[in-house]
Amino acid sequence: MTKISDITIIDDDAITVFGLRKLISRTVDCESIISYGNGLLAYDGIKKRLEQKERIPQIIFLDINMPIMDGWEFLEVFIKLPISDKIRINIVTSSIDPFDKKQWDFYKNKSHHLITFNQKPIDWDKIAEITKIV
Amino acid sequence: MIKVPLTLNTSYIINQLPTPTAFIDTDYNIVHTSNKWKSIFSNNSENYKSKSLFKLFPHLSPKWKMVLENCFKGNAQPMGIHKTKNINEEELWFEWSNAPWYDSDENIVGAIIQLYDITDSINNEIELRKKDLQLQQQAEITKIGRWEYDLKDNKLTWCTTTKAIHEVPPHFKPNIENALFYYKEGHSRNAISMALFEAQDNGKAWSNLKLQIITANGNEKWVMASGKPVYNKGELVGLVGTFQDIHNQVEADIKSLDNEKLLRTLIDNLPVNVYIKDTESRKILVNKAECEFLGVDNPEDILGKSDFELYPKESAIKSREEDLRVMSTLKPVIGKETINIKLDGKETSFLSSKIPLLNNKGIAYGLVGISLDISKLKEKESELRNIINIASIQNKKLLNFAHIVSHNLRSHSANFSMLLNFLESEPDEEEKVRIIGMLSEASNNLLDTLDNLNDVISINTHTNIEKQKINLHDKVISVNQNLISYLFNNNATIKNNIPTNFNVKSVPSYLDNILTNFITNSVRYKDPNRKPIITLSAVKKNNYSILTIADNGLGIDLEKYGKKLFGMYKTFHEHKDAKGIGLYITKNQIDAMNGKVEVTSKVGEGTEFKIFFNDKD
Repeated sequence: MTKISDITIIDDDAITVFGLRKLISRTVDCESIISYGNGLLAYDGIKKRLEQKERIPQIIFLDINMPIMDGWEFLEVFIKLPISDKIRINIVTSSIDPFDKKQWDFYKNKSHHLITFNQKPIDWDKIAEITKIV
Repeated sequence: MIKVPLTLNTSYIINQLPTPTAFIDTDYNIVHTSNKWKSIFSNNSENYKSKSLFKLFPHLSPKWKMVLENCFKGNAQPMGIHKTKNINEEELWFEWSNAPWYDSDENIVGAIIQLYDITDSINNEIELRKKDLQLQQQAEITKIGRWEYDLKDNKLTWCTTTKAIHEVPPHFKPNIENALFYYKEGHSRNAISMALFEAQDNGKAWSNLKLQIITANGNEKWVMASGKPVYNKGELVGLVGTFQDIHNQVEADIKSLDNEKLLRTLIDNLPVNVYIKDTESRKILVNKAECEFLGVDNPEDILGKSDFELYPKESAIKSREEDLRVMSTLKPVIGKETINIKLDGKETSFLSSKIPLLNNKGIAYGLVGISLDISKLKEKESELRNIINIASIQNKKLLNFAHIVSHNLRSHSANFSMLLNFLESEPDEEEKVRIIGMLSEASNNLLDTLDNLNDVISINTHTNIEKQKINLHDKVISVNQNLISYLFNNNATIKNNIPTNFNVKSVPSYLDNILTNFITNSVRYKDPNRKPIITLSAVKKNNYSILTIADNGLGIDLEKYGKKLFGMYKTFHEHKDAKGIGLYITKNQIDAMNGKVEVTSKVGEGTEFKIFFNDKD
């Protein structure tokens, strides 16, 4: 079992959050899983931890369609945060809009973090693949 | 025969004869001459006596010898005319006459020859003949014939040209009756008859009457007839006049008149504006369409005017510059799209051409302008563009909608699939119950989503929705009634400032939904620190009834969220009721009624929505 200290889930859908937690906890040896209901909450949370020199997540599961601040808006501000570590950001979405793929391409090349694009539903094999530490 | 010498006395008498007279003997020798003769033919010093007449006048016809022989026999005959020179070498014409010369015994001893100077009349005759010839030549060249009418003898004379015009043979003898008969029946014959009558009775001349004749050969011809009465000692003796063949000119005139008429008819009935301008850009010809365009009945109202008098200064300057360019470069402007603004501000789109008019030296003396009104075409074009625009917006919306639908349905089905997967492998009974609970939640969410999508689809598919006239003031009151407990619970106040007689055109159910949505939105996103106040007002402007809904709520950061404000499932406030579907549906309903919605907002102060209801159907 991979050992990971912190994982963050950003999604407004309670069922998805429940599912991801379940999948992760069975696949990965993880100290803490934190979830946020939208991008802004997550950004504020991570920023605060960064400022207080607390641990920041090694893996982020990110939804795209969310109220207040969506996944892309979150990425826009997140990649500007002073984080030297390479964070794995797994985009998890049910969108098949080509616009979202384009956005993914854009941010993938703009950031030193690893950003993956994953279509729902996520199964056991998939979760194992995208929780590998980079 | 015995010659009788003349006495000195006789000789003296002969000398004094007033006419040039010579006495010759039977040998043609001149015996006596009068002083007059001498003064013409010889110097005084020269002796004429005893010289043969034929020697003195070597050019006399030898026939005259015979005549004189007869005279000697007492049988005097006329001699004729002879040209000779006098002592001053002047040519003179004389008519010679003779008579037998009897002596006192009644014996013929010779002949007496008398000369009559007819030089003047001969010269006159020559002159006359010359004039006649000239006249005839002139007549042949100009085709102007002459005629004379002698009233006393009732005799009409036509010159050869006049006859030729009438196409009668040279020997034709006209009279006043048949002459009139050649004029074409009707106007021509009446006119000439009247002219003749006026000339005879009132002494009036007539000139340049353009009349038609029918010639002897049956050809119709245009002639110009002139004439005047001739008086002798105050008494009318006849008429003279001229007669000219002007058929070709008249035909040419008629033809050019016809051509002009044809051209005029053509340009007047062309469905384009046609004008001709001179070098100063003044209009010198306009067609009917141009008159109608400029709003005048009479072309005279435009002719001579330049663009500076017909159009606003700015466009006149432009047009003048173009005119000058066309006339100086001689390059026509063809089919250029222009917008013409009249003095009254009316705009017309034209497809206009300007073509330089060249004189025979190749220099422009003006230009022809042709303008086709394409305003209607332009209107159609912009309508079409509008439709394409709408179609492309609709298409975009449809695609967007398709993505939303697929996203939403997929996200639910993904949840189902995931939860079912868990359920299969879940050994813990308690956890199983929890998963089943989630499954039923997911199922409810899916149903909600389907309901929402169905609402949106029904708005966008009911394209032939029936709009009705609805009193907006009353409608707001009735919506308030429905929301009364909600408003009461939130301490909200509605201010209905809409005029009581204010009507909008809307689908009734849409209007209900629009009002309910905006009002509940305003209450939902109220500022927790103050009581929500929602103010509704309305005005009419440019075919729109504009409803303004202003609140004192939280406000929205439009720079951040403006684009997403009316998107589906977009929410900007952390609020448990926010579903992000209300404004999306509302916007769709407003769009479906050809309306629009605008928003202004300040975070912390409030939001103002302006909803535009289209007054047209």
